[in-house]
Amino acid sequence: MADQEVTEFLDRDAFRAALEQAIKGREAKNAPFSTAWANGELQRHHFARWAENHFHYVGPFADYLGYIYANTPATATDAKDFLLQNMYEEELADVRHTDLLIRFAEAAGTTRERVMDIDNCTAVTKGLQGWCYAVSFREHFAVATAALVVGLESQVPSIYRRQYPVLLEKYGFSEEEAEFFDLHITSDEVHGERGYQIVLDHADTVELQQRCLQLVRHGADMRFSYTKALYDTYVAPELQPA
Amino acid sequence: MPTIHFRTSGRSVDFDEGDDVNMLRAALRHEAGVPFKCASGNCGTDRVLVESGAEHLSAPRKRERELLGPELIAAGYRLACQTYVEGDCIVSWDPEQQPLISERAADALTKKWLSGDAEPGRGDD
Repeated sequence: MADQEVTEFLDRDAFRAALEQAIKGREAKNAPFSTAWANGELQRHHFARWAENHFHYVGPFADYLGYIYANTPATATDAKDFLLQNMYEEELADVRHTDLLIRFAEAAGTTRERVMDIDNCTAVTKGLQGWCYAVSFREHFAVATAALVVGLESQVPSIYRRQYPVLLEKYGFSEEEAEFFDLHITSDEVHGERGYQIVLDHADTVELQQRCLQLVRHGADMRFSYTKALYDTYVAPELQPA
Repeated sequence: MPTIHFRTSGRSVDFDEGDDVNMLRAALRHEAGVPFKCASGNCGTDRVLVESGAEHLSAPRKRERELLGPELIAAGYRLACQTYVEGDCIVSWDPEQQPLISERAADALTKKWLSGDAEPGRGDD
């Protein structure tokens, strides 16, 4: 499907529809690692490798948001409050979210040390992390919010709603071990929605709307590529005939 | 087309047949006024009383079960952030309601830092 070109300022409903359309066809839930997960085709060591990668994408999420926060003018109180709340929830409101991820990783058979060692993730994961840093540091706050919250974070519920039940029913993890997923199914519904509101409120020129749509496409492509690389690196080689 | 009726604010939100929608997300998107703070099932600020349509709601999730407990759930309360809706329902709430947790998170953090028990940072590369 061709990407929609924006040549005139879109009203709120049309811009939202365009943002949603920008993700379509690029959803990480359809990447091969995601579908193999949802279909019950993975083994525990694949989840260990997933966690060793995922940590380096989501671990610095509060850092990304911190850069966006610094780039957000004091007049955009709603956006600043959202970013601060999101950072707080990632790190301090409850169990630190990366600790929930490491709890799952340990249940899958790896260790905290291995998870935190960036040498254990793929080059594509490192690229995703670098892209997140670059976008959050350099882009207008509405554009960066579009990229990271709409393009990346808002996809989480659709991914984990397929993956969480099968973790319990097929792969044998407990609710406690898989809490990282259950938490994000619901919290990222709200983060995603508030992200949309900020983008709709603050992308107030044609150029900003164009850039938001472009970066949502890039973000969705990055997440898809990151997820596909997990399959290519850890799953596909095991399927080759000896 | 199924409808969530937010009785306290008078808002109604329609969604496509066959979809299921997160109740708090629908409330935020359509400015239905459900109070909330954390959206993680951690504070209970967004609890709603389900007046009808409970059969169209997802089963209570882990955090919801832990925070509300069996008595409030049996009385018809749900956390909007933790609940997915797949058919008609009517919910209400106290517009002045506060978090269920008694200790403010900021107070808990202050205690933790002053006690010297604060954990080291998460340590990305």
